[in-house]
Amino acid sequence: MRPLLRLAVLGLAGLVLAACAGAPERAKPAQADPADAWPPAVGAVTLERSGTPPATALDVIIEVFDTGLAEAAATPGDEPVFAAVRKAEAFYMPLRLREALVESGRWGVVRVAPRSSATAALSLSGRIVHSDGVDLVLAVRAVDARGEVWLDREYRDIAAASDYPVAPGTDPFGDLYRRVANDLAEAQRARSVTRLPTVALLRYAEALAPGVFADYLATGDDGRRELRRAPAPGDPMLARVQRLRNQEYLFIDAADEQYADLVERFAPTYHLWRQYAHELARYETDYLARAGEREINARRGTYAAMQQTYGRFRRVKMHEQDLEELAEGFDNEVTETVIDVDDRVYRLSGSLATQYDEWRRILQRIFALESGGMP
Amino acid sequence: MIRQALVSLVPLLCLLACASDPTLTAPPREPDPVDFSGHWELNYGQSDNIQSRLTTLVRELQRRSARASNLQSERGGLVLGGSGTDSAPSVVGLARMAELITSSQLLEVDQGRTRIRIDREGNFALSCDFLRDPGRIDDLGVGRESCRWDGQQLVFVISLPEGLSIRHRVALSGSGEQLGIVTTVFSDQVSAPFTVRRIYDRYEPGSRGYRCEETLSRGRVCTTEGGS
Repeated sequence: MRPLLRLAVLGLAGLVLAACAGAPERAKPAQADPADAWPPAVGAVTLERSGTPPATALDVIIEVFDTGLAEAAATPGDEPVFAAVRKAEAFYMPLRLREALVESGRWGVVRVAPRSSATAALSLSGRIVHSDGVDLVLAVRAVDARGEVWLDREYRDIAAASDYPVAPGTDPFGDLYRRVANDLAEAQRARSVTRLPTVALLRYAEALAPGVFADYLATGDDGRRELRRAPAPGDPMLARVQRLRNQEYLFIDAADEQYADLVERFAPTYHLWRQYAHELARYETDYLARAGEREINARRGTYAAMQQTYGRFRRVKMHEQDLEELAEGFDNEVTETVIDVDDRVYRLSGSLATQYDEWRRILQRIFALESGGMP
Repeated sequence: MIRQALVSLVPLLCLLACASDPTLTAPPREPDPVDFSGHWELNYGQSDNIQSRLTTLVRELQRRSARASNLQSERGGLVLGGSGTDSAPSVVGLARMAELITSSQLLEVDQGRTRIRIDREGNFALSCDFLRDPGRIDDLGVGRESCRWDGQQLVFVISLPEGLSIRHRVALSGSGEQLGIVTTVFSDQVSAPFTVRRIYDRYEPGSRGYRCEETLSRGRVCTTEGGS
């Protein structure tokens, strides 16, 4: 009975498995390469440094970058996008940009903030269009307190093999940040900026007490704000506004420090990941070129020929998966960093922007109370 | 004991069996796809023997050849010559390829709501993103791959140059304690594909006496388990 049962089962399986063996699916045509839409690379860029302090040193706020994940999800390509890495990059890259701006010596205080702020004479925002170890593409926008757009374009940089391993204090895409800094300097030179700090302060004041400060700024047809009249020196109301703005700066600076601390911790792993991605991309390009040129010596259909074909595919897949595993490790390290340091770091990652909103609401209530109004 | 094992195997075989027949396929939209997660080790006893599968394939090719030649006797049927379609090197090569492709003794499956990754010892992992278009095919330049659910089975298809294609069909037994992978290898030099079924038993990593994990700084690190 048992052998019969076994035979029946195996026979059934054999029949069915033979039936299962149909032709595999036909391949679809490949998608368009998104790299075709990227701008040319910035090339080698030297940072333009100011020899003397600027007459009007504008304070700059760089908003934490948009990860670009929504766009990546909407237009899926062949390249995987690691969400955890992108989220980390969203505050890593503003810090690199900040370094370039500070080094240029052309600006006042440059802060990285969780959200845009009306306190800034100049606000920068960015979106990560593409980022791997080979290419970095950023969309950068700069708007001053008047609402005038200084810069709104995409930048691309390509890392060279010599950029890896990443030396301390350098970045494979440093040229991109230097190019943005130089473009901003040029935009600044082309404009009169002396009134911008006052406009920025009044816009902040307007946000705190719209009824009190509404008359100081005019709004043009194009939506731009212009200084109509300056407040009197020693205006007690404006003094309160300045004090509260400093409180807001304290919060932004605290957040900024936390970003910097986090970046310092994950940077070595991040550099390793980018180096690996760069090496993998080069390996695949070289390998595909070699594979395309090489004749398969063994006769088609023989074990040797099939082994070569399969071996090629296996090697490429294993390299791809090595990268994925490394990214997962990086993802975990970032996640652990955020989670392990208890509430303080969790807030940094997850809800610092919310805290910032809350802090601003508190400042508004304080201002209302101090001004004798209802909070 | 054997009977018990066979009885537990029947649902798995049925699952694998019904996949290609639309009349027997499970409802197309399953609310909860089967979860393959876990550690699996090859069950040699219940898995196919490559040699016997090769014998079966050769017989099948002989029958086809006999029919094609319109011969009533078996004498003219053997086709395993030196070259051309269904040559001996091609048929034996196909069997050896199937053996190479299915040689992993250990599997580790990590499955979430959106993705599955089947790590195969000594080979690349089979992974599938459930949120992607099931018909989408990734072109790696050296081959193309796709994956899709087929009822309660997960199907991976790899199309390689030189007329070589591989299909893996993954299913879970009713008890959840056995995983079956039916691998079919196609070659344009052999008129019938070669199919191998591998059965894997679930195991707990700690029960093997050692445990391995991937680390960023030190790569794969294995440590022995503290025995009592």
